[in-house]
Amino acid sequence: MIADEASMARMMAAAQQGDRELYRALLAEVQHWLIRYFRRRVAPAQLDDLVQDVMLAVHNKRATWDAERAFYPWLAAIARYRWVDHLRKVYRSGETELGDFDAAEDSQEEAVMARMSLERLFVLLPDSQVEAIELVKIEGLSIAEASARTGQSESLIKVNIHRGLKKLAALVEKAD
Amino acid sequence: MMNPGSNELIDQLVDDLAPVRPIRTIHGILLTVSAVLVTLLLVEWFEGLRREIFSGSASDFFFITNGMLAVLGSAAALAVVRMVNPRVGNGHDGARWSAVMLALLPLTAVLMLGLGGLRSEFQDNQAGLACLAAGTGFGLVTAGTLVFWLRWGAPVSLNAAGLLTGIAAGAIGSFASGIACPLETVGHLGLWHVAPVVVSAIIGRLVIPPLVRW
Repeated sequence: MIADEASMARMMAAAQQGDRELYRALLAEVQHWLIRYFRRRVAPAQLDDLVQDVMLAVHNKRATWDAERAFYPWLAAIARYRWVDHLRKVYRSGETELGDFDAAEDSQEEAVMARMSLERLFVLLPDSQVEAIELVKIEGLSIAEASARTGQSESLIKVNIHRGLKKLAALVEKAD
Repeated sequence: MMNPGSNELIDQLVDDLAPVRPIRTIHGILLTVSAVLVTLLLVEWFEGLRREIFSGSASDFFFITNGMLAVLGSAAALAVVRMVNPRVGNGHDGARWSAVMLALLPLTAVLMLGLGGLRSEFQDNQAGLACLAAGTGFGLVTAGTLVFWLRWGAPVSLNAAGLLTGIAAGAIGSFASGIACPLETVGHLGLWHVAPVVVSAIIGRLVIPPLVRW
């Protein structure tokens, strides 16, 4: 169960004023939400690093949340931004299996969360780019392995990753 | 796998917590307005603003051009200002439509001048080049201010931030220097006063994203 928007906004507003108790509770919720958010789109071995990276970003940029706006879209924008950055950095890992966690399946604000999901970003990319990014950047295959798996040439795999990541970076704030 | 709610990172972040003053759009607007005023002061200092325009003594095209540059500069600057508060669902369509609107000026110039007129407009046009340089140069005040603002915040659309910062800088710089420019022909205003926007947009798109990455 994830805390609702109003609770998160209240805790964040208190955290901006220096309330450590509520900040601890907020960070625990943020951590929980991020694990769910990234689970299907990051290799398991890299999930902790990415979640911690985003939590640090949330901490360092906490002044950029405006109390007049919703909390989760702010958190999702930062999460997407760091995720795209993470995909750029990752080339290959030993992990090839993804968890089968179904993100946001029991959230009360499922529709809102779905608009902010990482899957929503992938929908906006051509299949060939999604396939190349998933295989190389998330599952950790080499370019040659991804080429053999998909039938795309190695050059095309590289081009699709490059173009796909560039497009993802431009879509970070896109909701529809 | 980390155990949610109980790890060292949360302890460290909580220990490090200090009150912060939320960054709001109004702060960025005030900062940008300050940059515009400084730009106007610099233009007054170096070139001297045209006093007679306040009594309406200028051509229609002069007011239309500078008005459109001011609107575009404001729309682009506001979009950049809002980028420091990231949010899934943010859009920047206002600035894009304003940029499209400004394209009417060079289009009008091309249609009115024709091929021959265009050729002579670009041949050894020292005044045109001077306005291009002035608009781009005076835009640096706005560009620097917006880059500072972006680095303070958390922009997540870096390429758009660079492009829009360049557009805002070019438009505001050209608007300010345009108030000092005595030339009011369609060719001069429609081409040389719009050119700083294009040049600054290209430079902004190429140079600014690495400066505001976080």
